Amino acid sequence: MFSTAGFCLISGAPDSRRMNSLPPPSRPPLRSVLLMSRKRTILGLDPQKLIKYFFGSNASVAIIVLVLIMVFLLREGIDFLPTYQRELQTYRRAGLEFCDIIDQPLQRNQALSSSLRQAVSASLETLSKPARDRRDAAFLLKRQVEDKTVQQRESLTQALEKTPPAPEQIEVFRRELGETSVAAAKALVYPAFFSAAESEQLQREFAALTPEVTDLPPLLQTLVAEFSAKDREARTKFAALVQAQEEFEEATEPLQEVVDELKAKALETKEKAVEFEVLETNRQRLLEAAATETDPKEKASLTKEAEESVSEAVNLKESIKEITGRTAELREQVEKYAVVIEKAAAVLPKEAGTGAARKLVNEVREGIPEHAREMRAAAATLEGWRWDKPVSIFSVIGAFFFGTQWITNSSWQDFFGFVPLLSGSLVIAAIAILIATPVSVVAAIYTNQFASEREKELIKPVIEFIQAIPSVVLGFIGISLVGNLIKDVSEWGWLQWVPGFPIQERLNMFNAGCLLAFMAVPTMFSLSEDALNNVPRAYIDASDALGATKLQTVFRVIVPAGISGILSAILLGLGRVVGETMVVLLVAGNRIAIPDFSAGPGVIFQPAHTLTGIIAQELGEVSRGSSHWQALFMVGIVLFAISLLVNWCARAVARRFEPHKA
Amino acid sequence: MSADSTAQSTPPPVVQVRDMDFCYGASKALFDINLKVEYHRVTALIGPSGCGKSTLLRCINRMNDRVPSARVTKGEVLVKGKNIHDADVDLTQLRKQVGMVFQKSNPFPKSIYENVAYGLRIHGEKNKSVLDEAVERSLTHAALWEELKDRLQANALALSGGQQQRLCIARAIATVPDVLLMDEPCSALDPISTLKIEELMHQLAHEFTVVIVTHNMQQAVRVSDYTAFLHLGKLIEFAPTEELFTNPREKLTEAYLRGTFS
Ligand SMILES: Nc1ncnc2c1ncn2[C@@H]1O[C@H](COP(=O)(O)OP(=O)(O)O)[C@@H](O)[C@H]1O
Ligand SMILES: [Mg+2]
Repeated sequence: MFSTAGFCLISGAPDSRRMNSLPPPSRPPLRSVLLMSRKRTILGLDPQKLIKYFFGSNASVAIIVLVLIMVFLLREGIDFLPTYQRELQTYRRAGLEFCDIIDQPLQRNQALSSSLRQAVSASLETLSKPARDRRDAAFLLKRQVEDKTVQQRESLTQALEKTPPAPEQIEVFRRELGETSVAAAKALVYPAFFSAAESEQLQREFAALTPEVTDLPPLLQTLVAEFSAKDREARTKFAALVQAQEEFEEATEPLQEVVDELKAKALETKEKAVEFEVLETNRQRLLEAAATETDPKEKASLTKEAEESVSEAVNLKESIKEITGRTAELREQVEKYAVVIEKAAAVLPKEAGTGAARKLVNEVREGIPEHAREMRAAAATLEGWRWDKPVSIFSVIGAFFFGTQWITNSSWQDFFGFVPLLSGSLVIAAIAILIATPVSVVAAIYTNQFASEREKELIKPVIEFIQAIPSVVLGFIGISLVGNLIKDVSEWGWLQWVPGFPIQERLNMFNAGCLLAFMAVPTMFSLSEDALNNVPRAYIDASDALGATKLQTVFRVIVPAGISGILSAILLGLGRVVGETMVVLLVAGNRIAIPDFSAGPGVIFQPAHTLTGIIAQELGEVSRGSSHWQALFMVGIVLFAISLLVNWCARAVARRFEPHKA
Repeated sequence: MSADSTAQSTPPPVVQVRDMDFCYGASKALFDINLKVEYHRVTALIGPSGCGKSTLLRCINRMNDRVPSARVTKGEVLVKGKNIHDADVDLTQLRKQVGMVFQKSNPFPKSIYENVAYGLRIHGEKNKSVLDEAVERSLTHAALWEELKDRLQANALALSGGQQQRLCIARAIATVPDVLLMDEPCSALDPISTLKIEELMHQLAHEFTVVIVTHNMQQAVRVSDYTAFLHLGKLIEFAPTEELFTNPREKLTEAYLRGTFS
């Protein structure tokens, strides 16, 4: 208000003064007319201020939107904690947690069993493989002949089945089949492990194949018998190993039976409890509606409906007794199981058929006592377990941030543990940054310092063009090209020293990391190049004048002076990589499990899921407001926080290393 | 000229420019320059702005090489009797012999120590005690040792403008060059800092040969033994400073000194 008044005063006054100072024009110049008209006030506001507000408000919009995003994310996500708390509470009250105490460590049995099975089959093969190969090869050859003669066989079969039979026709078909069979049998390539006589006999037998004869040809029968004999021989030779494996596999059965019974009971209780909860919330809603309803008729009907839907709450205390009542039995079974497997471990032979098998057996032998110890320890905690111990909010937070399982749509229990996703994201980001940093920084140094003008004109647009490639296209490339390439390369013999080779999965963290590195290069390259470009010319002059070579100047002066910019370029690249969704969703393999870091550096060739990928994949499919939905929002919040943190670090680095201007 | 008579009695001049023409692309910046710089003397180059003082200075350590299409088109430049454009001249070694200080101080964004040690390091010196010794000697020469000896690891950019320029001098003399080129080293400094550097110049002349470009004639009088006056790319007059200022031979010089220059 004040300023407005002041303005009006002045805006009248300078009129005459300005006229004096300027050479007197015949009419007021257009400019001054325009300027004076601008000095009027609009709605009582100074127009200068209006302009300022206009620009200011546009800047604020960005901030406001950011705040709104945060508020929205928080609102949807923060309810996750109480929801998850309720779910974990039911998990405990209904006794699912009790069952998992034993069931979780029992999973180890399967891993050990499968190792043993592998060891057994590898051992048996040492004796039976040649016989088996001969048998399999013979069957394969037979199959090839049959495939080639399939038409003739069918015609003959049909002719034979015809009533009344037509003997001449049958004769014709039989002859045709005979001829093609002879030709086919002749055309076969007989592997070298068949002697000449055997090959000849096989050829004769194959040539004589007809649909009427169902018995195997004699030589094939011999081959089958040869294999069974060898297999028997092998099984007696490795009897100890075979027996240990069988015992080990059977050992779990009585225990698993008890656990399964308890699990069924717990699940039943849980389902009832959940159903009751749903009904109860519905009823509460009806009552609320009735309370606010003004029409007495409607009100009465709502109340009635609510009363009708009253259901009986599950008596958790009673149902849990059926489970905890069997604690002693369960403990006994665990103890028995532990004793049996320990015995099996003791009789496990030191020797196996091959080196690999021996290694597997040794692993199992060492693994079993540990497994037994774990089982016993788990059984010991059963007594201390309380069904009514409350689930604190801190343990819920812990269960989310440090939970190692992300299991959804489970018939047993959903778990929302963050660690598998975070570890996937971090490993992929680390791979991407480790690849992209040297590439983009070196490219930036080259372009900025060594490239000719023409090279610059080529390199810069090409690298910047990468940014224009839609990430879904890169995903295609990852699936169709990079995956196969990595897999093929990993099978080259002379590269087998590389940890993780040969790889199992084409879609894995390394593949995703490579593509993300490719996506991060433009950002990191451009920003690094800018940073180098901003190094004052005077530093270069000084270095040159002291007799430094080009390389010395680059690495001792330019790069150190631009290091803050380069570091923040790397961090901004990291931000880009962490937030990227499409590529990781398509290429990372989407296995929701913590990568097995015991594999050493080879871990990068395992598939994984990511923070961004899980949201993109699951958010569309879950029902709004469910715990799963809320969990995904929590992941979104954490992702958002990580991005903010990375960006903040980039700024801090830029400030920290910025040479203070004198 | 006086330069001829000294040439017979003393060793050859440390820098000798002979009949040199210099071009930036098609445009000629220097015409037929002849100049001899004596050992352990301060030689000043004066003249109006744009007359080619910096260009001439930069010819001596071949800093002009970095300007594409800039080249000496006639004549030669000798440093300690050796033509610096000969094929066997190592540019790194030449610049080790001919140091340079720029108009605007340009210390690296490194520690004071590393700034001074830089020249030695790039010439392969790794021995810590040699470096320590050189840093102390150079800073002492640049009259900075007393001020800075306790914070050698501090960032050089935290120093004041005058200190920074003296640090640049220390950096340039750390490799013990024969010649020190200075291109208007005081033009960006306050009077007190300027005074300090002018004092330094006399000290430096005991050990080095100094060529200084200045547009300040009083400065030339105060610091130099010889003065060259350039005008439009031509060297108009070259004489002992006192002679040139008190008794200029050329009309142009006189006009310039009087300030009645058109
Ligand atoms: N890098 C360059 N490219 C082209 N012309 C230049 C360059 N540097 C200087 N010149 C020209 O050379 C002439 C002399 O410049 P300079 O030596 O800087 O003069 P001074 O230092 O005496 O002011 C000027 O006309 C200037 O325009
Ligand atoms: Mg100049």
